Amino acid sequence: MTKFNRIAIANRGEVAVRIIKACEELGIESVLLHSEADIESRAYRMATKTICIGPAATAESYLNIKANINGALAGGAQAIHPGFGFLSENADFAEEVAQAGLIFIGPSSETIRSLGDKVHCKDLAKKAGIPLVPGYQGEDQKISKLIQKAEKIGYPVIVKAAAGGGGRGMKLILNSQDAGELIESAQREALSAFGSSKVFLEKYLDRAKHIEFQVFGDSTGQVIHFFDRECSVQRRHQKIIEEATSPSLTDELRRSMGEAACAIATMGRYKGAGTVEFLLQDNEFYLLEVNTRLQVEHPVTEEVMGIDLVKMQILTAQGEYVHDPKHIRLPRGHSIECRIYAENPFLGGVPSTGLLGQIHWPEGPGRRYEYGFDQGDTITPFYDPMIAKVIVWDENRPRAIQKMLRVLKNSTVFGVHTNIPYLIEILSHKEFVMGTMTTRFIETYFSESLKEPELTDLEKKIAQSALMQLRQQNGVSESSGTASPWSTFWRGV
Amino acid sequence: MDLKLKIDGSDHLVQAQLIGTTLWVHSKGRTFTVDATSGRRARRKTGGAGTSDVILAPMPGKVIKIFSKIGDPVKAGQAVLVMEAMKMEYTLKSDLDGIIDVISCAVGDQVTLGKHLVKLMPAAKES
Repeated sequence: MTKFNRIAIANRGEVAVRIIKACEELGIESVLLHSEADIESRAYRMATKTICIGPAATAESYLNIKANINGALAGGAQAIHPGFGFLSENADFAEEVAQAGLIFIGPSSETIRSLGDKVHCKDLAKKAGIPLVPGYQGEDQKISKLIQKAEKIGYPVIVKAAAGGGGRGMKLILNSQDAGELIESAQREALSAFGSSKVFLEKYLDRAKHIEFQVFGDSTGQVIHFFDRECSVQRRHQKIIEEATSPSLTDELRRSMGEAACAIATMGRYKGAGTVEFLLQDNEFYLLEVNTRLQVEHPVTEEVMGIDLVKMQILTAQGEYVHDPKHIRLPRGHSIECRIYAENPFLGGVPSTGLLGQIHWPEGPGRRYEYGFDQGDTITPFYDPMIAKVIVWDENRPRAIQKMLRVLKNSTVFGVHTNIPYLIEILSHKEFVMGTMTTRFIETYFSESLKEPELTDLEKKIAQSALMQLRQQNGVSESSGTASPWSTFWRGV
Repeated sequence: MDLKLKIDGSDHLVQAQLIGTTLWVHSKGRTFTVDATSGRRARRKTGGAGTSDVILAPMPGKVIKIFSKIGDPVKAGQAVLVMEAMKMEYTLKSDLDGIIDVISCAVGDQVTLGKHLVKLMPAAKES
């Protein structure tokens, strides 16, 4: 057993905050390894120690293995938590962390190699008799070869980064005409996001649900699962709304999918938190991939299971976490997470960057906010547009949906546009309410930009009157217009 | 900040903040912006609607691929260039049939929101 005094965090934004909080609760200090662009952030302000590891460009900072390890050593940390994205599923990173005498908080580099690489993982699944979606996972990455394979599988075909997740380096090909361009684009995104341009192809199931199981291997190597999440609401293969547990599984399916998830994780000698993703169509399930890390949507599992996955990860890395059957229970109630993206829903979701104004998250029972930025921080164009997650828990799904709607309507983000209006539309959609949505839900019902509602007369009056009051308070006359303490920072809305 | 406004005799609790020239308001479950200089709805800086002979950067980001050269014919809906922002690629397409007239960016350029990237010469309408 190694007791950590200090943990380095090789990440940013809300997940860095999440890890710092777990460290605080365990009495462990934190070292935030950050880029030059992330000084104005909550994680920077909260960490015990901060070390700048490079410029804004991810290749030179968050994806730079040497810089992260040197930062962790300089900061006097005994372990590194990689969060999700960036280097979290990079086996070379896990290996070099160990070689530097540090502990990687996550599965071993061997596990990441066998399960994290989607191609190897599928070989393993085949041996275990877990069903797979038809596809191509070969080493030959020539565009002509990939096009030929895509034709053979039959369109629609999905092209994916072999080393990644989270929607980056992932494209849907509908016909042979677009195949070349989309495959090249996926390879470029894969290279820039994960450091490897390797992609693979898969038949696209057109009415499938995305269901995943949270698995966890304790210090002794015993793997169990903490039930399922449904993440069918995705746009461009990026999840938007996730919930636990899935409204679509029968007891029988839940049991057999959970067994399959534990079987593959056990084969990969899994230690720590991981996620086994499946597609479910017509009561048949297919293994999609294993994510060898903490998942963005881990809070919904924590809410229904009454556990803290990040603390469990740290304790497992210290060699002291063992599953206790007395404390493992069935899921209770229902939890939903909405990802808040800095984007304009009325302009097709283009990213919205700039200085954050007032931020307000309405407190109350069964609500949880995970966010990385506060008023006065700047949302930059260098990183993922997700700026916060809103999580609710209630006794059942209809109540959880109602609570989420209320919470989103009462949340305020000024300075950048967010997808909140879009989330409200989705949560109110009949198919979502019934729980019958598939991974094509967004493209079927929300492919167009939302239409921005005209201001009502009342809203116009409110704006006018608010402007007058604000100007009086600032002591600025009507005519001078733009003067405000904010104007010097203003970058564009 | 929280404001209590009296409008047509009734009270309204709203949140409002002036950031630069934009007024941000949150009222009754909805956030909206108003241009504080004109009092109208905040102006859209990007060519969001309608056909246009210029392709503007819809967000700050990096130009990572340009498919056409000056003088190349393009069809409406054809991909002209690709930008990357927040680790995602966005393909920018031509709004109309025409010819590439001006390209005012290069691969690798970091561009600001609303920058003119490409100008098109619309194809002559058949009469």
